[in-house]
Amino acid sequence: MISLPVVLGVAAVMFAIGVYGVLSQTNTVMVIMGVELMLGAAMLNVVGFLRYSWPEAASGSFFVLVIMTLMAVEAAIGFALVISVFRHRRTAELDDLSGLRD
Amino acid sequence: MSDLGVALVVWPSAAILLVTALYVFRTASMARAGLLLLASLGVEGLIFLALASEFLGALQLLMMSGEMVLMVFFMVMFMPDPGGLMGMDMTHDKRRAQAFAVAAGIALALVAVLTDWPAGTLNADAVDVRAIGFEVMGRSMFTFLFAGMTLMFTMIGGTLLAKQGGRYRVGAPSGELRDAGDEGR
Repeated sequence: MISLPVVLGVAAVMFAIGVYGVLSQTNTVMVIMGVELMLGAAMLNVVGFLRYSWPEAASGSFFVLVIMTLMAVEAAIGFALVISVFRHRRTAELDDLSGLRD
Repeated sequence: MSDLGVALVVWPSAAILLVTALYVFRTASMARAGLLLLASLGVEGLIFLALASEFLGALQLLMMSGEMVLMVFFMVMFMPDPGGLMGMDMTHDKRRAQAFAVAAGIALALVAVLTDWPAGTLNADAVDVRAIGFEVMGRSMFTFLFAGMTLMFTMIGGTLLAKQGGRYRVGAPSGELRDAGDEGR
C-alpha cells in the first residue's frame, strides 16, 4: 500500500528530473519548466507529510499554497525576463546570454 | 477513501507523473513538452486528491491547467524550433546534468526511506476545507495576505519588466542588438 516513504520517493525522483531539466536545457523556458517540476516535488512532499504525519494540521496546507504562489511568481517573472531579454538579443538561449560571465 | 483505493489511484498516477515529467525533456516538440508538463502536474493534483487534500488537489488542477497552457504559448513564441522538426539539440552538459540529477534523486530517496518519520492517523475529524477556511481567517491570515501581496507585486513587476523599453523607457544598449534593423522595435 502507500506510505510516507513511497510519496517522498516519488517526489525525490520528480525533483531529480527537474534538476536534470534545469542543468541540461539551453532554453530559458525549458529551465523554468524544470524549476516548476522541482517545486511540484516540494508540494508533493508537504502533502505526503500532511496525510501521513500530521493529518490534523490545517496550517500545513499553507505551505503548499505558498509553494503554489512561488510557482506562479517564478513563471511570471521568468517569462517577463525572457520577453525583456528577447527584445534586446532576439534569443532566449542561455548559451547566448553569457555577457556577465565574459 | 480506503487504503486500497488510495493505492489504486496513487501508484498509476505516480507512474504517469514520472514518465510524463521525464518526457518533458526528451521530446523534440516544445508544444508537446508543455502539454506533458501539464499532464505531469495535473496528475500530481490527482495524487493530492487521493491523499485526502481535496482543496489542494482541486487548486493544483485549476492552477496548473492555466499556467501550463500559457507556458505552451511562450514556448511556441520563444523556441527556435518549437515543432521539433529541424532536429536541433537544445541541451548542453548532458552527462554532468544526468550525474547530478541521479545523485540528488538517490540522496533524497535514501533520506525518505531511512528516516524514521513520525506517523499520524487520518481519522474522521481530520482537516477539511472548512478547517482550512478558519485557518485562513485566523493564525495564517498574515501568510495568506503576504502571498496575495507577492502576487500583486509580481504582476506589476512582470508587466514593467516585459513592456517595451522596460521600467525607464530606455532602448537596448548599443551593441546589444543583433542587427541595426532591430533598433526601432
